[in-house]
Amino acid sequence: MLKFTHTDLVLMLIALGIVLILSRFISEFGKKFKMPIVLGEILLGILIGPSVFGRLSPHLLAAIFPRIGAERIALDGITSLAVIMLLFVAGLEVQLNVVLKQGKAAIYTSFMSMLFPFSIGVGTVLLFPHLFNYNASNRMVYALFFGTAMAISALPVIARILIDLNMFKTKVGMVIMAAAIFDDLTGWLIFSLILSLIGHDGEITSLSYTIGMIIGFGLFMLLIGRRIIDKALPWIQTKLSWPGGVLSLSLGFCFLGAAFTEKIGLHAILGAFIMGIAIGDSVHLHEKAREIIHQFVTNIFAPLFFVSLGLKVDFINNFDPMLVTVVLLIAVFCKLIGATLGAYMGGLSKRESIAIGFGLNARGAMEIILGTLALEAGLIDEKMFVALVVMALVTSIISGPMMKYFIKER
Amino acid sequence: MDLSKLKRRPSFPIETIAVALAFSPRLDGILAEAKRIKLQLNSALILIHVGEKTAEKEEILDSGLQKAGLVPSDCRIIWMDGDPVETILNVCKLNIVDLLILGALQKEKLLKFYTGSVARSISRKAKTSVLLITEPKVEPCKIKKIVVNGIDNPKTLHTIATSLYLARLLEVKDITIVNEVYNPAMAMTIAENSTAPEANKLKRDIAEEQVSRLHPIIEQSQEQYPEIAIKEKVVNGKPGYAISNYAKSKNADLLVVNSTDVHLNLFDRIFTHDMEYVLQDLPCNLLIVHSRI
Repeated sequence: MLKFTHTDLVLMLIALGIVLILSRFISEFGKKFKMPIVLGEILLGILIGPSVFGRLSPHLLAAIFPRIGAERIALDGITSLAVIMLLFVAGLEVQLNVVLKQGKAAIYTSFMSMLFPFSIGVGTVLLFPHLFNYNASNRMVYALFFGTAMAISALPVIARILIDLNMFKTKVGMVIMAAAIFDDLTGWLIFSLILSLIGHDGEITSLSYTIGMIIGFGLFMLLIGRRIIDKALPWIQTKLSWPGGVLSLSLGFCFLGAAFTEKIGLHAILGAFIMGIAIGDSVHLHEKAREIIHQFVTNIFAPLFFVSLGLKVDFINNFDPMLVTVVLLIAVFCKLIGATLGAYMGGLSKRESIAIGFGLNARGAMEIILGTLALEAGLIDEKMFVALVVMALVTSIISGPMMKYFIKER
Repeated sequence: MDLSKLKRRPSFPIETIAVALAFSPRLDGILAEAKRIKLQLNSALILIHVGEKTAEKEEILDSGLQKAGLVPSDCRIIWMDGDPVETILNVCKLNIVDLLILGALQKEKLLKFYTGSVARSISRKAKTSVLLITEPKVEPCKIKKIVVNGIDNPKTLHTIATSLYLARLLEVKDITIVNEVYNPAMAMTIAENSTAPEANKLKRDIAEEQVSRLHPIIEQSQEQYPEIAIKEKVVNGKPGYAISNYAKSKNADLLVVNSTDVHLNLFDRIFTHDMEYVLQDLPCNLLIVHSRI
């Protein structure tokens, strides 16, 4: 039986320490050049993983970050926990009333920025299968995944760009935020459906069962669970230790939700995401508590997760220029055209609409999480994963300057 | 009736008020409130009841009018059959009503809230300003504190102006304009990429930006209404809930908000719209100003 030894513990603690310290320094350095924090974390993974450090000192890499054994299992457990918490905090910011409140412009933009890239993504896989590498029996599921990967947005990156451009509270800013929230929500629901369809052993499970369970769980949490949480939060925040009470109970509910959806055959991320929506929607969740949950997850678990990607995958060997170009072009143009058209149909000016298109183009961490889960589920190969990561990073970097150009410069 | 008069009609002066009547124990209180408002605003008064006109109801209404000190020449009584919400709204439209007064429970039961009571359904659909009175009183009870929303919306200017017009006529000396600051995804953004001073500065800048937007409006209003102390307050939290909570904590007598920009439906009760937070649990009397802009 595999045992977690004293040496495993020491090595794991060294690995965690190295990852947290170095990722912080690299990210802070990147911040000076307005780079998204996730870029620094991915770069660190590439530097200390098989892509760079592994080529220079494969034995040392295997000693600190082994690919098999008890330490590997423990580290994988931590990254699984991290992805669940990342989806939980993503859910905290999904507020559908923000979408509804922005009216026609947000609704058109949301639908078009989701529908257009999704349809083109699905269509590309079905019409040009030779461009992709997938299991023939999974063709439709793969196509759905690719469509979702093209459609998703990254709320934190987008919010940061809007703040930097002083556009957070403007009409354009609010439309972008609303559409990003909608894209996140629908994207993750579709992706949960895809993961659930693949099943735990790689076998396709019943579509009607999966859809029924997602709708059932979603409705329960939205109509009943949300109300219970809303009633419980004031008590939690006033009667229990602050902020420990709200932090531990929120994450406790997140894990229970994740465990429940995993148990009933849906993916754990869905439970965490919907639990995040239910908790984040409460008017009783103090802004400070929200910040603390975000700080805890974003600064401890997010680096562990994003750095681990570079440790698992050889980014140099799996870099396929053709695939990267195809993915990048489809992602950028579909999102740009879909969102721009939607905003224009919603009544915004041509220039504002293009700015919205570029704003929503940022994929950031959400795309990378999506790719990682698909890779772990065996749906995509490492080449497609690398292409998605590159696309996520490039779109996050170009979004801000392009928005600035269309909004401010002209 | 010339319905073109309704188009772009300002929310004040309030020339015609209507009161939707139900034969409940609160009838006397509502009639007394209606009479006081009519006198203070110097408006015409229409009483509307949707339901069968019976001798018994007429008798109760006559007695209520007498108790309130209203004589038949003071008001016009309209008896109609049909769906209460649609009928009342239609009467208001045809009679170019500027303010519709309704009695409303402070809080509805959960199922009733989702299915919609008459008062709340009218509040969601009305194309005229609506005043919901939570505790109609027979004895006069002076309005002392008014809380007005100051959110970033073109309607806010009209809402503030209407509140000041009412405050002058109702002799209210204390008005607070509340600016709700709510930034979705701000916590996430700060957590990801800000040092503590940066985060504080960011929050401060956004709050200051919101407040500075209101300054010229308040200064101008203060010149126009020197007898009223106009204060401003910034509250953090979800719009609708934050102002409602503030009005409750300050024991306000009247909360004044903009009418919504969209038609509210069940969806807005599930994914709670700002207005639905207020309607869910009325903190005090509520005036929804419909500015027809």
